[in-house]
Amino acid sequence: MAEESVVRQSAEELPKPKSPYKEFARKFLKRKAAVVSLIFIIVLALVAIFGPMVIRYNPNAADYTALLQGPSPKHIWGTDEFGRDVFARLIAGTRLSLSVALGSVVVGTAIGIILGLLAGFYGGIVDSIVMRGSDILFAFPDILLAIAIVAILGPGVINVVIAVAVFTVPSFARIIRSATLEVKEAPYVEVARSIGCTNSRILWKHIFPGTVQSMIVNFTMRIGTAILASSSLSFLGFGANVTEPDWGTMLSQGRNYLNTAPHMVLCPGLLIFLTVLAFNLLGDGLRDTLDPKIK
Amino acid sequence: MKRKLASMFLAVAMTASIVGCGGAGGTGTSSSGSSPAAGTTTTAAAAVSSGTGVTNIQTATSTGKSGDNDLVIAIEGSVSGLDPQNVTDTNGISACMGMYETLLTFDDDGKIVGKLAESYDVSDDNLTYTFHLRKGVKFHDGTDFTAQSVIDNINRVSNSANGLSRRRLFVVTDSDGNETSRIANMEATDDNTLVITLAQPYNVFLNKLTQFMIISPSALEQYGNDIMYHPCGTGPFVFKDRTEGDHTTMVANKDYWGGAPKVDSVTIKEVPEAGSRTAMLQTGEADMVYPFTSDQMSAVTGNTDINVSASYSNIMRYVTLNMDLKELSDVKVRQAMNYAIDKNAYIKVMYDGHALPATSCVPNCISYYKEEPAYEYNLDKAKELMKEAGYENGFTLTLWGDNTTQEIKGMTFVQQELAQIGITVDVQPMEPATVSDKIYVDKQDAEINMWYVNWSASDRSFDSSVRALLHSSMVPPTSANTAYYSNADFDKNLDDALAETDDAKLTELYGKCQDDVWNDCPWLFLGNDQILYATKGYVSGVGVKPDGQLDFANAVLAQ
Repeated sequence: MAEESVVRQSAEELPKPKSPYKEFARKFLKRKAAVVSLIFIIVLALVAIFGPMVIRYNPNAADYTALLQGPSPKHIWGTDEFGRDVFARLIAGTRLSLSVALGSVVVGTAIGIILGLLAGFYGGIVDSIVMRGSDILFAFPDILLAIAIVAILGPGVINVVIAVAVFTVPSFARIIRSATLEVKEAPYVEVARSIGCTNSRILWKHIFPGTVQSMIVNFTMRIGTAILASSSLSFLGFGANVTEPDWGTMLSQGRNYLNTAPHMVLCPGLLIFLTVLAFNLLGDGLRDTLDPKIK
Repeated sequence: MKRKLASMFLAVAMTASIVGCGGAGGTGTSSSGSSPAAGTTTTAAAAVSSGTGVTNIQTATSTGKSGDNDLVIAIEGSVSGLDPQNVTDTNGISACMGMYETLLTFDDDGKIVGKLAESYDVSDDNLTYTFHLRKGVKFHDGTDFTAQSVIDNINRVSNSANGLSRRRLFVVTDSDGNETSRIANMEATDDNTLVITLAQPYNVFLNKLTQFMIISPSALEQYGNDIMYHPCGTGPFVFKDRTEGDHTTMVANKDYWGGAPKVDSVTIKEVPEAGSRTAMLQTGEADMVYPFTSDQMSAVTGNTDINVSASYSNIMRYVTLNMDLKELSDVKVRQAMNYAIDKNAYIKVMYDGHALPATSCVPNCISYYKEEPAYEYNLDKAKELMKEAGYENGFTLTLWGDNTTQEIKGMTFVQQELAQIGITVDVQPMEPATVSDKIYVDKQDAEINMWYVNWSASDRSFDSSVRALLHSSMVPPTSANTAYYSNADFDKNLDDALAETDDAKLTELYGKCQDDVWNDCPWLFLGNDQILYATKGYVSGVGVKPDGQLDFANAVLAQ
C-alpha cells in the first residue's frame, strides 16, 4: 500500500509534458494589450475580406447631391468632396492597405530569410557581401529609401510593394543571420552534420525552424511599419492611384478640407494610427511570449 | 523597441500634425500679430479697385490694418520663369507684369489702350502701325526707353537662335515649315515714334502687343538669355529674388514713371494646397489668395476681415482627346464622351456653382464667341453612340494633368463620369514640368491619351484662344494642339480671318470655326469658371484679370 502510494506520488511529481501551443496561449493571454490588438487585427482582416461585400455604398459611387457632409445616420462617417461615402471607402481601403503591407513584408521577409540563412551558415565572403549590402540599405532612412525607389520605378501599388519590400530585407537578413549563427552551433545541428546530412537539409530542416521565433516577431512589427510607409507614399502621391480608396490617399485628399470637413482626415488618420499601433503591440506581446527568458 | 517606438511616434505624429494644422487654421486669426483684432471697423471695403464684373461674395466688415507694407500673394501654381518673352503660363506672366510693361494694355472694359505707347495710329490698309511712345520712361538699370528699345526686343524674339516662345508673334510658319516674318519694316523715326509695317494684315496684332513686354536692351546685351535671372524692365516693381518652386519677390520702383507704388514689396508665394492658402490668409501670412477655391468658403465664413470676390474669366476648362488614337479617332466616341459628362455637376462639385458650362470652344467673353447647342448630359445617348462606334464594352485611357488639388479633383470627376459609359480612365497627376516634357514630343513619340487642362488667351482674341490648341500646324512640339486635331476647313477659316477686317465676315468665319470644333469634339468641353480670390480687409487696389493674371500694380495696404 505504502509502496503503491510512493509510486503514485512520484508519477505526480514528474513534469507533465505540456503542449507548447497551450503554453504559448497561456503566456500570450496574460498580455492584455497584445490580445486586444490581435482581436482588432482579426476584425480588420475580416473587414478586408468580407467588408466590400456587405457595405451599403459603392466606395466609388459619387453623389453630387451630398458633397462634404459630416457624419450622419445615412453616412456614418460622412461623405467626401464627390459625395462618396467615407466609411465605404475606408472599408475598401482596408483591403488595399492590408494587402500592400502584407505583400511587401512577405516578399521582403522571404528574401531576407534566404540571405540571412546563407550569410549565417556559410560565413566568409557570402556573409560579408550580404551584411555590407544590408549596412548600405540601413544607412538610408526607410521612407527616404522607399521614395527613392518609387521615384525610379514610377508611382503605383506594385512599385510601393517593391519599395517597402526592399527596406524590409536588411532587417530580416540581419536578424535571421544572428539566429542562424546561434543555432548552427547547437548540438542537434552537430549531430545532423555528423550523420552526413546535406547542407541544404541542415539549413532548411534543422536551422531554419530554429530561427522562426525571431522571424515571427519581426514580421508582425514590420507589417505596422509597412502600412505606415505605404500610406505615407500614397499621401505623397507616389502610391496608389489618386482615384483609389487608399488610406494614405484619402488622408492626402482630405487635408484640403481640413478646415471645412475634418472627418475626411480624422477617419483615415485614426484608422492608420490604430492599425499600426495594433501590429506593434501584437509584435511586442509575441516577443515577450516567445522569449524563454521571460516567464 | 526603439524601432517600434519610432514607428508608433510617426503614426501619432502623422495624425497629430494634420489635426494640428487644422487647429492653426481655425484659430489663426486671433493669434496673428499682423492683423489686430481691434481693427478699425469701417464701412465695407471695396474688394478691388479695378475690373468690371467683380462681385463680392463675402465682404469684410472690419478692414483692420496691415502690420507691414509688404504685399504677399499666395498662388496655386508656380512661376515658371521670368523671361517675359519666353513664359507662356499665366503665373509667369503675372510675375513678369510686375517688372515689365507692354506697349498697349486692356482697360477695365476690355478695350485696348496705351501704356508704354501713349497712342497709336493704324493705316487704312491695316498694314502700317505708328506708335507714339511715352517720354521720360527709364528701365530699372537707368537707361532710357526709346523706339529703338522696342525694335531691339522684336529682333531678339524673332531670332530663331534664341528659341523664345513669343517668336510666333512675329514669325509665321506655313504648312511646309517655311518661316516668314510678319513684319516688313520697322523704323524709329525719332526716339519716341515707332513705325511698324506688316507684310500681311494681321487683325490681332494690337491684341498681341498687350502681352509683349519690353526688356532693357542694355541688360539684354549684358545677360543674353540669362535675362530670366536678371529681370530688367520699366515696370512699377524691381526684381529682388526668386526661389524656384517657392517665391518671387520684387520691390517698389521709386522712380516709376507712373508714380512709385504704394507698397514696399510684392511677394508671390507658391502654395499648392487650397487649405494652406486659406490658413495663410487667416493668419495674415498672405494678404491675397488666388485661386480661392469655393470649397474653402465655409472656412472663412465668420472671418470678418476677409473679402471673397468673384470676377468673370476667359479660362476654358477642357480635356483634350488625342484623335490619333484608334479609340478616339471616331467622332461618335468623342461625342458620346461629351454626352456622358454632367456639366452642371462639374460646376457644382468643382466650383460650387461659380462657373458656366461650356457652350463653345471659347468662353463667352472672347470676341466672336458663338453659342453652340449644348451636349446635354444623356447617358442613354452616350451609350448608344458608343455602341454604334463598336465600343459598347468600353476601353481604357490615361488622363494626364497637374498634381494640384483642383486638377486632381477635376480629373477624378472626369474618371467617374466616363466610367458610366464603360470607359476606364487611369488618372495620372504629374508635376507640371513633367506633363510638359511628356506632351511636347515629336508626333511619333506621343503617348498622350487625354489631358485635363485649361487655356486662357491673355490677349482676348478668338485667334489666340484656339490657334495654338486646334490649328493643324500647332501639334506638339510646336504648340499645344494635343488633340492632334486636323480639319482643313477650320484651318482655312481661321487663317482667312487673320487678314479680314470686316466685322460681319469675321463673325461668319469664326462662327464656322466654332461649329467645326463643336461637332468634331476634339475636346471634352467642361466649363468656364469664374475667378475667385480672397483678400484681407485692409488690402485694396488688387484684382485678378480675366485670364488669371494678378493685378497688383496699384495695391494699397491700409496702415
